[in-house]
Amino acid sequence: MFKGKAKEALICFSNPRVTLKYPFEPQEPPDGFRGRISVDVEKCIGCGGCANVCPSRLIRFYDDGDVTRMEFILDRCTYCGRCADVCPEDAITMTKEFETATDDLEDLYIIQELYMGTCNRCGRCFETDNWIDKIPTRRNREGRNFVGPAMPHVQPIKEVAK
Amino acid sequence: MHSTGYCQALEKAAQIEVPPRARFIRTIILELERIHSHLLWLGIAGHIIGFDTVLMQVWRIREPVMWLAEQITGNRKLYGMNIVGGVRRDIPKELHPKIIEVMDKVEKETIAVLNAVVDDTTLRMRLEGVGVVPNKDAIALAILGPSARGSGVAVDVRVDHPYAAYAEVGVNVVVETGEDIWARTVVRIKETLESVRIVRDALAMMPEGPIEAKIDEPIPPGLVACSSVEAPRGETHHFVITSDEPRPYRWKARAPTFQNLQAVPLSIMEETIADVPITVGSFDPCFSCTERVEAVDVRTGELKVYTKRELEQLSRAKTKLLRGE
Repeated sequence: MFKGKAKEALICFSNPRVTLKYPFEPQEPPDGFRGRISVDVEKCIGCGGCANVCPSRLIRFYDDGDVTRMEFILDRCTYCGRCADVCPEDAITMTKEFETATDDLEDLYIIQELYMGTCNRCGRCFETDNWIDKIPTRRNREGRNFVGPAMPHVQPIKEVAK
Repeated sequence: MHSTGYCQALEKAAQIEVPPRARFIRTIILELERIHSHLLWLGIAGHIIGFDTVLMQVWRIREPVMWLAEQITGNRKLYGMNIVGGVRRDIPKELHPKIIEVMDKVEKETIAVLNAVVDDTTLRMRLEGVGVVPNKDAIALAILGPSARGSGVAVDVRVDHPYAAYAEVGVNVVVETGEDIWARTVVRIKETLESVRIVRDALAMMPEGPIEAKIDEPIPPGLVACSSVEAPRGETHHFVITSDEPRPYRWKARAPTFQNLQAVPLSIMEETIADVPITVGSFDPCFSCTERVEAVDVRTGELKVYTKRELEQLSRAKTKLLRGE
């Protein structure tokens, strides 16, 4: 009886207080921590890759004429970070923010609108402005080899010119 | 752990080969999860019988494992580590000394706890000869994991159907023949030490290379596969039928708690209500905080519902009684 108790007492006394002073002292999570999502609308090209991979399907894109509306309803977020992984423009990042408890559900909504560029030739909306801005440098990207602010039409441009 | 099961089922269905490094990383993450899960259980078991020193000390030992997981994967739990065809994050070289350091510390302290509780007569009075599941009933009820291994049934998916890197690393299955709660406790503590060994070996044997298989084409629809993973509580099975959409047509997971709970009526037979919490708890069930017991007096037909708090008080009172306080 006493042998066991003596060993237990030794374990207890050889380890002083380990409790952290949180929340009175802030706690910084390690690098690579997956906290609340942050979306940089300046970088977003509206490709919708994040909506495609989100396991809880909380990212939605709506095409509505000259604007594309994107909604992040973060109350279902599992903080897996797949959206940040697949984002080609690094517009989505996982911050270190982990104190996300709130009494207002709308604090967990990120709703952004992306303006769509109109085609110089037919006047219809076809891509987000952010994407068109990048075309001169990124035009050789797979499947996106059109040039300048016009959408790829059925007939090649040269034939029309004839 | 569930994500590994699901990814393995899909990889089996679509015949995707996972790179060796990814398999080793999966093994390390699975074993880290087992270490913290078994330590968590040991703490809760101590709490149920009113031995809160165990709770405090064991959870202190467990905490560095959680921090380590946070550093490797980006979260304490819900690691988000698996993807079909591999893993999402590498374990960089810089983290290896840190992992070894934490493992050494966990091993040293777990051995100290094991030595201390083995000599603790109060603890053994509460746990020995209580919640007995005889060997033949354990086989008949097909209980799994540490609960079965405490009754002398050597079932372990890691050995029976090796997955991830377990074939390379090897697993020494811990089997105790005590058949009672004490045996299950000892199995869990010794398995923690075995997991520490596996993490160390896996880290040393981890080959270089890619961590993700290249998948060029979508997974075809109509493929069927089943995969098994040894979770801390027992074996978990995942069944998948693929579809032409980017999500499965059917998916079914069977977790071990359901199977293990079948042994509860048998093990609480002829015991006092004060022994019910620790007996049910010894199977490491996940109840989502609905712990309560309905007791019917067979002579009067009277029904009494014991809440979690009442059960805990009864259980703790019994420990005091045994200690003669």
